[in-house]
Amino acid sequence: MWFGRFLKSSIGKKLVMAGTGLLLLLFLFSHAAGNATIYMSSEVFQSYADELHSHPLIVLLFSLLFLAIFIVHIGMGLFLYYENRQVSNSRYNVTTRVVKNSFSSETMPYTGLFILLFLVIHIFGFTFSTGDVPISVTVKELLGSFFYGLFYIASFVALAIHLSHGFWSMLQTFGLNHPRYDYAISKLTLIIPLFFLILFAGIPLYFMTGLGTCY
Amino acid sequence: MSTINLTLKIWRQENSDSLGSLEIYPLDNVHTDMSFLEMLDILNEKLTKEGKSPVAFDHDCREGICGMCGAVVDGIAHGPEKEVTLCQLHMRNFSSGDTIVIEPFRSRAFPVKKDLLVDRSSLDRIIQSGGYISVNTGGTPDGNSLPIPSNEAELSMDAAACIGCGACVASCPNGAAMLFTSAKISQLALLPQGQPEQKKRALAMVAQMDEEGFGNCTNARECEAVCPKGISIRNIARLNREYLFATLSEG
Repeated sequence: MWFGRFLKSSIGKKLVMAGTGLLLLLFLFSHAAGNATIYMSSEVFQSYADELHSHPLIVLLFSLLFLAIFIVHIGMGLFLYYENRQVSNSRYNVTTRVVKNSFSSETMPYTGLFILLFLVIHIFGFTFSTGDVPISVTVKELLGSFFYGLFYIASFVALAIHLSHGFWSMLQTFGLNHPRYDYAISKLTLIIPLFFLILFAGIPLYFMTGLGTCY
Repeated sequence: MSTINLTLKIWRQENSDSLGSLEIYPLDNVHTDMSFLEMLDILNEKLTKEGKSPVAFDHDCREGICGMCGAVVDGIAHGPEKEVTLCQLHMRNFSSGDTIVIEPFRSRAFPVKKDLLVDRSSLDRIIQSGGYISVNTGGTPDGNSLPIPSNEAELSMDAAACIGCGACVASCPNGAAMLFTSAKISQLALLPQGQPEQKKRALAMVAQMDEEGFGNCTNARECEAVCPKGISIRNIARLNREYLFATLSEG
């Protein structure tokens, strides 16, 4: 079947990574938009959360959809990592990387797995364990604590590094590489990771520094 | 003319089945105007006089256009100079007292035949699977009967500059042959003559590339950085597009 052949081919696998990556990026934007309400006040954030969870079917469907996308992205990523390890493991006695700033592309599997670890902790911390405590209180308590907050900041740094290769790489895989757009793409590859880093890592900082407690 | 003294660490391997290792050879009074291959010639002359087996390496035109030569010098395919093949790399890029590590182009699809000599026929098989146009020969076509925009022609020529040396594969962290395959697909896909078999070609060449055991591209850009002909990864983006559209309609 043509789709099976597509999935087995090297470019097909790249396109699956890029396609799921794009969907995850869109999810990040919507998540970031929701989270941004916390900077207004805890009440605004709480009302946003209550509004969202007053439609349990939407939340359930989106959660399942994103679970599936995450599984495909992570599963395919690990499979590619395994396949490429077989080809590349210690080929040369001396290896020199010619490309400058290749850190993010070299560390994609590691930053990716770190984000997975974050995801597990994040979901168990916020989605499954709130009980009767309002979410805005949980956020304040968990992210206000030093190590929890620090772990969150570290995770968002990992996310930013992951995206700083991932965003450009995704467009390249989709075939979007043209002198007319190269400048814009290179700027966006910097701006988008920074946007998420500032917005997301700002929340633990907001509570750790005590700025968020008065609201 | 100045001379330099070098210590060479060269990969020696009897044949595809034997285990190889790095051997150390001191080489003094190397003229800085020599090319890298001439330096290896001097070493081989010395080794022959000492009754030792000379270092086997591929070479042909020695003017950077045939794609036969190539080795990984201090971890960089074709050595430290930009956009040159090994034969066009000159010893003035090194200084006296340097230790130079010379290894063959490595890939699962490039078995080492002897020392620095590797079998790159896997690249030929990618070409054989679709890197051509089928033309029923007839009378000579009239000049300008096939108008081609000059920027398309230039892009096609840029892709056609690929000499198939395999440096892209050797430098890729995953041993992928995407830059090579994309250049060979682009040079035809950009021209009207390449259109009739465009989709068939993309599917067949990618299938052959995967079958040969090359790795998966992860957009690490190392290939572009070492390519002696400056082939851009814009060609890889074009290949990704070609492959996607071909799969959706004819895959």
